[in-house]
Amino acid sequence: MKLNIDGLLVYFPYDYIYPEQYSYMLELKRTLDAKGHGVLEMPSGTGKTISLLSLIVAYQKAYPLEVTKLVYCSRTVPEIEKVVEELRKLMDYYTKQTGAKNDFLALALSSRKNLCIHPEVSSLRFGKEVDGKCHSLTASYIRAQHHSNPSQPVCQFYEEFDSVGRQVPISPGIYNLDDLKDLGRRKGWCPYFLARYAILHANIVVYSYHYLLDPKIADVVSKELAKKSVVVFDEAHNIDNVCIDSMSVNITRRTLDRCQTNVETLQNTISKIKETDAAKLREEYRRLVEGLKEANVARETDIYLSNPVLPDEILQEAVPGSIRTAEHFVGFMKRFLEYLKARLRIHHVVQESAPQFLKDIFEKVCIDRKPLRFCAERLRSLLRTLEIADIADFSAITLISHFATLVSTYSKGFTIIIEPFEDKTPTIANPVLHFSCMDPSIAIKPVFGRFQSVIITSGTLSPLDIYPRILDFRPVTVASFTMTLARTCLCPLIVGRGNDQVAMTSKFETREDFAVIRNYGNLLLEMSAVVPDGIVAFFTSYIYMENIVASWYEQGILENIQRNKLIFIETQDAAETSMALEKYQEACENGRGAILLSVARGKVSEGIDFVHHFGRAVIMFGVPYVYTQSRILKARLEYLREQFQIRENDFLTFDAMRHAAQCVGRVIRGKTDYGLMIFADKRYARADKRGKLPRWIQEHLTDGSLNLTIDETVQLSKHFLRQMAQPFRQEDQLGLSLLTLEQLQSEDMLQKIAQIAHQA
Amino acid sequence: MDDQGCPRCKTTKYRNPSLKLMVNVCGHTLCESCVDMLFVRGSGNCVQCDTPLRKSNFRVQLFEDPAIDKEVEIRKKVLKIYNKREFDFSTLKEYNDYLEQVEDIVFNLTNNVDVESTKQIMEQYQRDNRDVIQKNKAKLTREQEELEELLLLEQQDSEQRRLETLQEEQRQLQAKRKNKQALLDKLESSRLPAAVLLAQHKDRAAQLETQIEKQKQNVKPTNIFSTGIMIGQTVSLASVSRVEEVLYVYQPVYIDTYGPPVPELDHLGRQGYLNHVRTASPQDQAGGYTSGLACHRALQDAFSGLFPL
Repeated sequence: MKLNIDGLLVYFPYDYIYPEQYSYMLELKRTLDAKGHGVLEMPSGTGKTISLLSLIVAYQKAYPLEVTKLVYCSRTVPEIEKVVEELRKLMDYYTKQTGAKNDFLALALSSRKNLCIHPEVSSLRFGKEVDGKCHSLTASYIRAQHHSNPSQPVCQFYEEFDSVGRQVPISPGIYNLDDLKDLGRRKGWCPYFLARYAILHANIVVYSYHYLLDPKIADVVSKELAKKSVVVFDEAHNIDNVCIDSMSVNITRRTLDRCQTNVETLQNTISKIKETDAAKLREEYRRLVEGLKEANVARETDIYLSNPVLPDEILQEAVPGSIRTAEHFVGFMKRFLEYLKARLRIHHVVQESAPQFLKDIFEKVCIDRKPLRFCAERLRSLLRTLEIADIADFSAITLISHFATLVSTYSKGFTIIIEPFEDKTPTIANPVLHFSCMDPSIAIKPVFGRFQSVIITSGTLSPLDIYPRILDFRPVTVASFTMTLARTCLCPLIVGRGNDQVAMTSKFETREDFAVIRNYGNLLLEMSAVVPDGIVAFFTSYIYMENIVASWYEQGILENIQRNKLIFIETQDAAETSMALEKYQEACENGRGAILLSVARGKVSEGIDFVHHFGRAVIMFGVPYVYTQSRILKARLEYLREQFQIRENDFLTFDAMRHAAQCVGRVIRGKTDYGLMIFADKRYARADKRGKLPRWIQEHLTDGSLNLTIDETVQLSKHFLRQMAQPFRQEDQLGLSLLTLEQLQSEDMLQKIAQIAHQA
Repeated sequence: MDDQGCPRCKTTKYRNPSLKLMVNVCGHTLCESCVDMLFVRGSGNCVQCDTPLRKSNFRVQLFEDPAIDKEVEIRKKVLKIYNKREFDFSTLKEYNDYLEQVEDIVFNLTNNVDVESTKQIMEQYQRDNRDVIQKNKAKLTREQEELEELLLLEQQDSEQRRLETLQEEQRQLQAKRKNKQALLDKLESSRLPAAVLLAQHKDRAAQLETQIEKQKQNVKPTNIFSTGIMIGQTVSLASVSRVEEVLYVYQPVYIDTYGPPVPELDHLGRQGYLNHVRTASPQDQAGGYTSGLACHRALQDAFSGLFPL
């Protein structure tokens, strides 16, 4: 259908539209008009993706000069594929309606591992191996060697692409990863490099967060994207953790040992090269004397994404004299390495700030701050000069050099924690140096600064005001949309007590309590008897799950449950888990019914959907607080309080509740879907916890469903399930939660829609 | 670490965890007991390279690689002499060249390349730059200064935080004590039954507790974003409209003097005006003063005093 969104003609590829989709598009349009950033929350399963895509594409078509590109960031490869499929539907609709040929280029980008078509390279199992192997076939000096010595292997796909691929623009269309591979095979071009080249002139790019947020990758892939792009972060409820992870460095004793071998290899290569080809080193030296001009020229026009690891000042200055020659630099790295080794040889935990670290390093090994800052760039230059083919081997020393640059660049927002052993095993020495970023805004700042609109959206972003605070940006629109429902298809219940009136909670003091574990078991047992098909149960951690399941086994609860349903368990092993999931789905499919025991923050809670009969109930055992005793977390909490005035408790609760909401949100994936959401902890009934749930769940939490006992829960569930089991036709939804164009344009519907958008 | 050992007596860290390894200027290790035994007389030669050593120069080995210990030792010595700072050079390039030179010297000394000539270069340098070296001895580099400043700031912050929490605790303690005293006083003087008083006291104590709890939760609210914009302040998102205006052009001031024009500054000397004013002393002229300036100003004053009748 064709919609008129605030004066903009939007083609929407479906015959019906949800009212919240309409208001979502309205908000989005306003954000784009203002050229600002937005935070939008809309429940999963209400068609966020298609609303986003159809509005932004329409905007691009209407104002090609205002918005030139859409960069859509998602988390996993399946999600990326889903987005591309939606986009394909939209584009087909456009061609059908307008009759004009599609002139849009949209493509997905993923790692070499997912895109490589080289027969040997693509058969490797790990992403790092593929990258390394690819590099050893496509690096510029390898190819130069190939010219003089044809027996040197190169990748024919890359050669082909390099010789002709750049001149011929890729024809407009929608390309997912497989399409790219097909195209690559047909033409004999490398799909990975083709895609990387094509994103520069593509209208829509779909890729993973890391291509924008991880400074090491962003610098390679995304730095040339135009300013007038719209960036969308979908499923962005974890974006702060992604930012933090991309800037943090963990150094173990093993890293240092590998780094040691790296340094030795470097030293040997240098002395070898000195005998055979000293001119090369001299050439590099000459270049360094003149400064990192090359890189600087590229940045002059300010069309590039700035890189937090490589601050701009570095590019304007020459490399300090003390690390200019290759030998001196290797000596410098050696000293730095030995210093780190000495630091790791401690018997108690040390926590210090970056300035303290710098002061100490100057006193101990006379390393100044300035050469440290240039470390990463200098190493890169050296590796290039030495023509080292397999970069993967040098990951350890690269990591150390990144650490050196970061620690000397940022005096705030980072902390260094050296732990001689893990908390769980205080007798085994396993020293780790955590250089942990506490400020997610550092990694994401270039993105906000560079692109005119950044949209952060997810099903669970509550409370909405916290994201702008921790990411340090000013959104122009902040909105939360609820689901309009023809029938209340979700039923959140808070179970606080067992039948014996003992409070149910995963609080630390009582989590070992026999009564609590038994009550949890009884709850699951009772539910397994009433709920049809699949039940998903989430625990707060793997250890907790193991403990509970073990005592359920002893108490015979497990046996009773298995009379009703089969039980599957998520483990830390990815292969095992996917096997369990497959079998779980099979059991649901053939009507036997199953229970999946999994863990909040685990793989299942983040990426797997349980549509329809795959999940009729979710049970959240306990509040999934993060492990609060970790020093990194403590440092971060302190930083949040000092810098952003966010209280520790607020943040912890916020973090726990967003994960809880993620978990229970798995069960509702659309308006025809229905499911129970059971929060099994009395602490959920408190206002501070309840208030942090997304609005679309809170709406259905009545006072009558707080602090229930197991019996009451079973009663309510039975009632709810019986109601939901009635046949549900599309006509029932029409006009209420599903609109045709005429219905949408009616006066009172527009009024209703205006009320949906909840201004936070 | 465990496989490190003394090359002479072959003891390893594994066998003797309290083993202490020492290094001297030549960069060869010995364990503490060997040092004590071999250098009873205070000096002797290195077991491995025959360099004459003093016992007092033995240091505890800090790093796994004794070469690093040696290098750091040498580096510290060299840096004492080569202590020029960035602002001692006119361009960054010169400074970088200097840094490289220092690095070369350290490299040569640690790897025993041209030790004699390098030492000579160092001595030469020391003679040539005695003043600078003396001067820079006390000074820190700019970066170190920055670091010190940051550290100081950090310290102050944590100190202040500590004091605040301390004060807070003190205040709470006092409030509690006062409450208790009040109860005792009341019990002494009031006519109400003790049970009621106790209940009242309990109530008050609970109130106090919640108050304290609330205060603890209260983080100082901020009214400013880290971007410097006040919270609640509405910022117009429309781009600032561009004002098209003619550029300002300077026009010299014209003063109508109703008489003959004021003589130009440059012509004062030629027309003999300067003969009648005091000539500027060299001290005056150093600051840019010329006698013409004062004379011209006086003339301007005089001429603007004319009026038509």
